[in-house]
Amino acid sequence: MTDDEYFLAALRLAAGNDPIPAHVSTAARDVYGLRVPRARTADPVECAEIRTSSGPRGADGSHLVRFVASGLTFDLEVTVGDGLIDIAGQVFPYPGEDAYVDVKTPHLTLTRALAPNGQFAATGLPPGWLSVVCHRPGRAPVQTRWVRIRP
Amino acid sequence: MHREPADLLNAAAEGDRSAWEELESRFGPLMWAVARACGLSPADAADVVQGAWLRLLQHLETIKDPARVGGWLATTVRRESLLLLHKDRPGILSAEVVEDPDPATAVLETDGRQLLWKSVSALHEPCRTLLQLVAIDLGSRQTALRLGLPMGSVGPTRARCLEKLRTLISSQETAQ
Repeated sequence: MTDDEYFLAALRLAAGNDPIPAHVSTAARDVYGLRVPRARTADPVECAEIRTSSGPRGADGSHLVRFVASGLTFDLEVTVGDGLIDIAGQVFPYPGEDAYVDVKTPHLTLTRALAPNGQFAATGLPPGWLSVVCHRPGRAPVQTRWVRIRP
Repeated sequence: MHREPADLLNAAAEGDRSAWEELESRFGPLMWAVARACGLSPADAADVVQGAWLRLLQHLETIKDPARVGGWLATTVRRESLLLLHKDRPGILSAEVVEDPDPATAVLETDGRQLLWKSVSALHEPCRTLLQLVAIDLGSRQTALRLGLPMGSVGPTRARCLEKLRTLISSQETAQ
């Protein structure tokens, strides 16, 4: 694997011709506001149950992904259309009626109650980075790894 | 007061926003440079840099070697950049979380950068000029014109020059 990019990057830094734009620094600083203290991170896992013959995609072109941590599983079905994304998800086992989820993007957090089967939905989200946090009273929150949704 | 990267990570994990901002001041510029050096547009580079910070936010307490968090961030940016470049279909992108920083990220540290720039000046032509032009992102066409090279040979020449630079740097490091 070549690592020329680091040399090229160091040359670019030394030349100072393409400094980091102010809005990129601001966005990086704002990321801190998305911190969920004490959260456990749920990583994506391969799962035969949600794979179809065309890979982890639904029949309508939606994309499926599963995250697991701390005994909690998140299944997310992501549909991209008209430049926006819709999420249909399920958390299981059902974490109880006081539990809820936050569907997070860097600029927007939508809070959703869970149906008795753990299902939830959020629509009209901007493409880009996305994460879902499940808050469970009395227990540490579980947050999916941030993933990038490409339209 | 100058805080070490490991202290900044700890402080940020405990809710100290100023520590996070200091991490950004220190490492944001090199992350941007890595994304751009990978060939990303400014919009994609902005997205990838933001993603690397999101990644760090979830690993403040689990980075294996906190002293090398700069290398960890640079490696994360490079992997996310390459993933973005190679996947042009819609979908969910998630690069594996970096365990160990790529060793070559050392060149991005302040000492490494000074050594690098000194080493470029010590190279013979056309490498010296070519790498200086690469550093200012002149583009292949302009670089070819300046150096009197066929455009198709800029890429291979650049690769050879980087190899010479790499060899020169490792011989200087061995001599030290």
